[in-house]
Amino acid sequence: MTEVDVKQKVLAANAAAAASLREMFSRSGTLAVNLISSPGSGKTTLLEKTVAALKGSLRLGGIEGDIATERDAERLRKMGIPARQILTGGSCHLDARQVERALAEEEGGLSGLDILFIENVGNLICPTGYDLGEDFKIVLLSVTEGEDKPFKYPAIFSKAAVTVVTKIDLLPYVPFDLPAVREQVATLAPEGRIVEVSATSGAGMDAWIRLLTDALARKRAGVPAAGVAT
Amino acid sequence: MHEMGVAAEVRRIARASVANRGSGRITCVRLAVGDLAAIEPELLKYAWEALVQGTSEEGAALEIDWRPAKQTCRVCGDLPGRAPGTWLRLCPKCGGILRVTGGDDLDVLSVVFEEDDAVQGAEGGAR
Repeated sequence: MTEVDVKQKVLAANAAAAASLREMFSRSGTLAVNLISSPGSGKTTLLEKTVAALKGSLRLGGIEGDIATERDAERLRKMGIPARQILTGGSCHLDARQVERALAEEEGGLSGLDILFIENVGNLICPTGYDLGEDFKIVLLSVTEGEDKPFKYPAIFSKAAVTVVTKIDLLPYVPFDLPAVREQVATLAPEGRIVEVSATSGAGMDAWIRLLTDALARKRAGVPAAGVAT
Repeated sequence: MHEMGVAAEVRRIARASVANRGSGRITCVRLAVGDLAAIEPELLKYAWEALVQGTSEEGAALEIDWRPAKQTCRVCGDLPGRAPGTWLRLCPKCGGILRVTGGDDLDVLSVVFEEDDAVQGAEGGAR
């Protein structure tokens, strides 16, 4: 019997692709964010409102990960920005090579952006382990999902630099302990940011938009991204 | 949910590691898995068994070294113990803010194989 030391990351191939994406985003000064949440937490709706607020001043683009249908990319294109749909065909997450391919297939349509939004497949578990070359991960949690999510899914809540609590206009109608969520997020990501928004009513949207534009300004100034590393 | 893909990648790495050292039949792969790596160890073992069935690795064990995340105090540097699945809000010693570290391991540590040309009874060069 022979035992050989290997000490190799299982996801090394993904990490290499992510590193080359990160270098590309760095060269073009593009802020890339990786949005992760359960299905139905409001990622695409938040992006639509974000695009409406920012498209006049910034060059934006989107990569949409879904198991099936072009719907989400179409929604972003309808908002007037370039968007590429990645159909994972049952796979539970996006990986860095899919993002590389999507950018190549778009033939420059998604290059030289100020902000690239990468909307991951709706899933709080699997996307956590795959680096996409993003500046930071953003996790969304809608108030209809229940307040125990951060401790149930500690991996994503500890790795995300930003937690966005969505649909806060519904707070009067659902039992959702917002202070408990803030505590859980502060426990798992003490350096992370938390923003509370309603894309429907517009509440909290200013803080969310400022967070993005500040992060872009810091990136352009060469300051590392806020909060937790990717 | 993506354990099958991870198992396939583990086998690719294990085969390449053995190929670098000669040739032989893989009997065990040792893996480090962190509790924040989004991998369920039982599912991964199940995926591994399904993957190697009917191949030259059939019967090879997948040993998982489970690596829990730690909470480290940013003020006093202490590493307070915690029960699995629970999180401490603040450092029990000094009340400082705790940082979550580690737990994201997903590494092939080593591969054990029987060398094709090994003399019966002779142990190959260990680690």
